[in-house]
Amino acid sequence: MLNLLTAEKIKLFRSKKLWIVLAILSLLPIYQAANSRLAVHYGTKLVQTVDTVVNGASGILMMEKNGLTILLVMSAFISFFIGEEFQHGTIRNALSIGRSRTHYYLSKLVISSLLSLFGVLVMTIIGMISFSAVFGFGHVAGINYYVSFAFQSFGTLYVLILANVSIYVMISFLAKNSAISLIWSFLYTIGTGFGAGVFLQTKHFQQVTYWFTESFLFYFDFAKSTDIARFPEMVLVSLITILISSTIGILLFKKADIK
Amino acid sequence: MSETILKATNISKRYSKHKALDKVSIEIKRGMIYGLIGENGAGKSTFMRVIMGLITIDEGDIELFGETGMKGLQHARRKMGQSIETPALYPDLTARENLKVQAANGGVSEREIDYLLNLMNLKDTGKKKAKNFSLGMRQRLAIASTLITNPEFLILDEPTNGLDPSGIVEMREIIQRLVTERGITVLLSSHLLDELSQVATHYGILHQGKLIRELSKEELARESRQYIELETSEVEEAVVVLDQIGIRDYEVISGTDINIFERLDDVAQINKSLVLAGVNVSRIGTTRQKLEEYFLQLTGGNSRA
Repeated sequence: MLNLLTAEKIKLFRSKKLWIVLAILSLLPIYQAANSRLAVHYGTKLVQTVDTVVNGASGILMMEKNGLTILLVMSAFISFFIGEEFQHGTIRNALSIGRSRTHYYLSKLVISSLLSLFGVLVMTIIGMISFSAVFGFGHVAGINYYVSFAFQSFGTLYVLILANVSIYVMISFLAKNSAISLIWSFLYTIGTGFGAGVFLQTKHFQQVTYWFTESFLFYFDFAKSTDIARFPEMVLVSLITILISSTIGILLFKKADIK
Repeated sequence: MSETILKATNISKRYSKHKALDKVSIEIKRGMIYGLIGENGAGKSTFMRVIMGLITIDEGDIELFGETGMKGLQHARRKMGQSIETPALYPDLTARENLKVQAANGGVSEREIDYLLNLMNLKDTGKKKAKNFSLGMRQRLAIASTLITNPEFLILDEPTNGLDPSGIVEMREIIQRLVTERGITVLLSSHLLDELSQVATHYGILHQGKLIRELSKEELARESRQYIELETSEVEEAVVVLDQIGIRDYEVISGTDINIFERLDDVAQINKSLVLAGVNVSRIGTTRQKLEEYFLQLTGGNSRA
């Protein structure tokens, strides 16, 4: 496993895709801080429940503000990162010398998870700095213990992102092709993000909406006390998603024929 | 008796209704260069992928380096290297970086990288990315990549595919050097029997997923070599004459045909001796069954190989 991770590290640092992902996640908060400054300049009043990030302190919620963007960027990265191994045939290089498929799958999952962690960390830090520079650090309305809130909200948001990363890894291993994986990942993100709410219209299946991590990521206010109270549920749903998707992904990958 | 590297028994693989491999059994011993011949779609790549554990089989048994079972095969595959079909390289990495990745995959030291780049004439590629390499360079880099883990058994699928004549010669020399210098056992495939005959020591002919013939280099040479074809209604008398004029290497094929494998330039002289002895010669002439014709004959004549 460590050998595979070392190989992944070499590939990743030489990959343009890594730098593109980091560039998007780094520049986006700067652009958003500048854009918010312009909006305020022209008379718009920033409201936290609507704008999510309104100062340095609320910058900890950059993941909530940019949930969809992060998911789309990560899904594209993972689709290419894994799909190209199948398309270039390089996946054979590791598997044909006796490397376990489970380890190979997990190495890709670990690298994707670490990259997404690093990416959202960079985004959050730059977001907090940028918004602090423009609007001051300030505070998050209704939050008395900021440090504890910051760790809890960041951790929960990251786990919600991670659950989707795990799904994208599974889709990429099943699709075995960058383009197909990209399409399915996009459909999954949009479908569960905007389609899961359909269950809320039903009498008996309302809870199903909250089986999908996007429901929390897109529609919850992470600075609202009633939603903060549901952090454990969000973590649980995310962990179950990671467990189920990884199990399905590994089992099917182990049975898959590699061309 | 030399060690058995690979023993595949009754391997079958089916893709829906199509049988890609049908009870294929092959045994490869240490030091062999085993050539797998077959037209496109005969099952060569499928068989190689099965051995490398890239695809599952419907039935059959595989023994590698004496090991069997999933764990055992996984362990044994650490002694193997492969280059199946197109060279599997990271296009955005240099030759050195490609080798570093494979060294990491195999958990081996990077010490051999310089030696291998030198061996494969790739030491001057510097920062040039693999995607900018010629096909020959990519093939050589793919082989270097397989060698970084010090394999004892190398699987090469169509290693000369797409190469120009000088590239083909170069690839052939590399394979022969690997066998003589490193003692590597090789399983390689081609749809060109003529090409394969210049390196392989043993052959397996695959046709429509079945192994229809296995033979050694010597057997292939005997079965496909040049000879004088003699047609006569008096075979017994003709044999006496051949013995009298000192011809020993001949074969009576039927009641009317004799194949003579020596003194191929003396057709006129042999004919004269036969006629002077009163043997009625219907036809005599030198013929050569080309390897490709031999292959066509084995596969029923409908092959494009």
